[in-house]
Amino acid sequence: MRILIVEDNVALADELTADLKRAGYAVDWLADGRDALIQGAIEPYDLILLDLGLPGKSGLDILREWRATQMLRPVLILTARDHWAERIEGLKAGADDYLTKPFHPEELQLRIQALLRRAHGQVNQPQLHAAGVQLDEGRQCAVKNDEIIELTAAEFSLLRYLMLHEGQIVSKSKLHDHLYDGETERDSNVIEVHVNHLRRKLGKDIIETKRGQGYRLQKNSG
Amino acid sequence: MNSIQQRLSLGLISVLIITGLVLAQLSLWLFDQGLRRYLQTHLHHEAQTLLAAIIRGANGIELDQQRVSASYQRPFSGEYFVVVLPDQQWRSRSSWDYQVTLPATTGLQKELADGPQAQELLIYRADFRRYGKAIQIIAAQDYTPMLKSFRTMQWSAAGIGLGALILLVLIQRILVRRALRPLEQMREQIVQLQQGQRTELDQQVPDELVPLVQQLNHLLQHTEDTLGRSRNALGNLGHALKTPLAILFSLANRHELNAHPELRDSFRQQLQSMQERISRELGRARLAGEALPGAYFECARELPDLCSTLQQIHRRDLQLGWQAESGLRLPWDREDILELLGNLLDNACKWAHQKIQIGVTYEQTHYCITIDDDGPGIAAELREQVMTRGARIDEQVQGHGLGLGIVRDIVEHCRGELVLDSSPLGGLRVIIRLPVNRV
Repeated sequence: MRILIVEDNVALADELTADLKRAGYAVDWLADGRDALIQGAIEPYDLILLDLGLPGKSGLDILREWRATQMLRPVLILTARDHWAERIEGLKAGADDYLTKPFHPEELQLRIQALLRRAHGQVNQPQLHAAGVQLDEGRQCAVKNDEIIELTAAEFSLLRYLMLHEGQIVSKSKLHDHLYDGETERDSNVIEVHVNHLRRKLGKDIIETKRGQGYRLQKNSG
Repeated sequence: MNSIQQRLSLGLISVLIITGLVLAQLSLWLFDQGLRRYLQTHLHHEAQTLLAAIIRGANGIELDQQRVSASYQRPFSGEYFVVVLPDQQWRSRSSWDYQVTLPATTGLQKELADGPQAQELLIYRADFRRYGKAIQIIAAQDYTPMLKSFRTMQWSAAGIGLGALILLVLIQRILVRRALRPLEQMREQIVQLQQGQRTELDQQVPDELVPLVQQLNHLLQHTEDTLGRSRNALGNLGHALKTPLAILFSLANRHELNAHPELRDSFRQQLQSMQERISRELGRARLAGEALPGAYFECARELPDLCSTLQQIHRRDLQLGWQAESGLRLPWDREDILELLGNLLDNACKWAHQKIQIGVTYEQTHYCITIDDDGPGIAAELREQVMTRGARIDEQVQGHGLGLGIVRDIVEHCRGELVLDSSPLGGLRVIIRLPVNRV
C-alpha cells in the first residue's frame, strides 16, 4: 500500500513517514500544495494524507480539484482545524475521513486501515480476512488455522496488498507501484522472492501465478 | 409618548390652540372697542339733537317733542334719554317705568349698565349750559344685539377654528409620516438585519440619516472583521500548538520509550491534558455568541450537511433524521451552533443503535433543540452527576465520553440551559433551550 503524505511541517512529516513505514506502507512526502495537486493525481497512491494549511495551494482547494477531475483515491484530511463547521466543509469537499491534530498514532493507523479496507469493498471487519488467512495489522503477522505465522515487513505488505485484492489478478508492475515508494529501484525478482516466501509460510496454493499476467490470491480457500 | 409623530402632533395642537384663542379674543376686543367708539359719536349726536330740542316755551324751559326722534317714544325701544336740569328731570317715554342710573362722569361710560327687560345699556353723558342753566343730557342705547352677535361670532369662530385644527393635524400627520418614512424603513431594515435577511443597512437615505447608517454599517463590518481576525488568529495559534503536539504524541509512541514505561506514561498523560486544555480554551475563545447578520444558523441548510457528515464519520448503519419548521433560523452564530450540535450528535452516534432524531422548534420565548437516540441512555441518578459543573465523567473515558465541555460552554454563552431526559426512542434525550434575546 502506497501512501502520500502532504504536510508542510517537516518534523511531523518525518514522524508520520517513520510511523507509516513501520506499519508496512510505502510512503512519499510532499510539502507544497501545487506539487501535491499534480503528483497526487498521477502516481497510483492507495491513500493520501492531506494537511489543509499548505504553502502554494490550500488543502481544500487541492481536494476539490481532484474530485472535480474524478480522482477518487481515498483522502484523509489531517489538520489542526477541529471545528465542526470546518469538518463539514472538509467532508463536503470530498474527503473520506477527517482526523484532527494532535492525534494518537494508533488512531491514525486504525483510520488508515479502515479507509483502505473500505476502498476495497471490505466493510465492517476489525481485521483483514481473505483466503482462510487473517491478517493482524497491528502485530504484522498472519493467523491461519489458529496458528500465528510471523512475517517480515516486506512479506506483510505484499500479503496485505494481495488480501485487499482478493480474487483479482495483480500484475508485478502494479505490485511494484503500490508496494514501493517513488525512490525505490524496480526489481521484479524481489517480488518473486517474497511471493515464494509467503507460499512457503502459508501454503503452496494460496497464491496462484498467472503466467504473463501476475499473481492472484485464492478466493475463500478454506 | 415615545413616538415622534405623537410629540409633533401634541406640540402642533397646543401651539395652534393657544394662538387661535389669543387671536380670536384680541380681534373681538378690538372690534368691540371700535364699535363703542362709533356708538359714542352717535350718542353725542343724539345728545346735541336733544339739546337743540330744549326750548323756552310758555311754561318756561321745555322739551319740544316734535324734535325728538320717534324711537324715544316707543317703550323699551332700546334708545333712552334723561335730561337733568337743576330743578327738574325729563325722561324719554321709551324708558317707561325704568330709571336709568345717572353716571357720575361725562363721556361714554366704560361699564355697561343694566337696562329694562334684560337690556344692557351703553350710556353717554354730556354737560351743557343753556338759558343760564346747567343741563346734563344722558343718552343710552341698548348694546345687547351687539353682544349677541359677538357671541354668535365667537361660536362660529370656535367651530371654524376647530375644523381648521383637525385639518391641520391630519395634514401634519401625513407630512410627518412622509418625512419619517426613511426612519421607518430603517427600522424595518434593522428588523431584517436581526432576522439575518440582510447583512447591512441601505445607504440610500436622506442626508440627516447618512452618518447613522454609515456608522452602523461600519460597526457591523468592523465586528465581522474583528471576529474573523480573532478566529483566524486562534486558528493559527491552534495550528502552531497542535502540530508540535502531534509530533510529541508520535514521539511518545516510539519503541525506545518502552524501556521506561513510567516516563512514557507520564509523558503521554501530560500531553493528553495539554491537548484537552488547548482545545477547550481555543474552542471557548472562538465563540461568537450573538450572531452577526448573515451568520445565522439556518436549519434547512445546515442540518442535512451535518447529518451526512456524521454518517460519513461514523460509517455505521445510522439513521439520522431532523425536523424543523421550514425557514427556521437560530439567531446565533452558525459555527457556534454547528459546534454544539456536532458534539452532541457525535456522542449520540457513538451510543445509538441505529436511530437519531434531531428536532428544532421555536416557542415564543426560546428555541428548543432536542436530540434523541435509541442507545442505552443514562440512568436518571447519573444524569445529575453528568450535568454537575466540573464533573469529569465526560473526560474520563477517552473517545467514549459525553464531550459535554464545549457544549456546556456554548449553552452558557447563549444563556441557555441543557437538560438530559429519557427519549421516546429508548435512549438519551438531550434538550437545549436557548432564550430568544430580542430587543
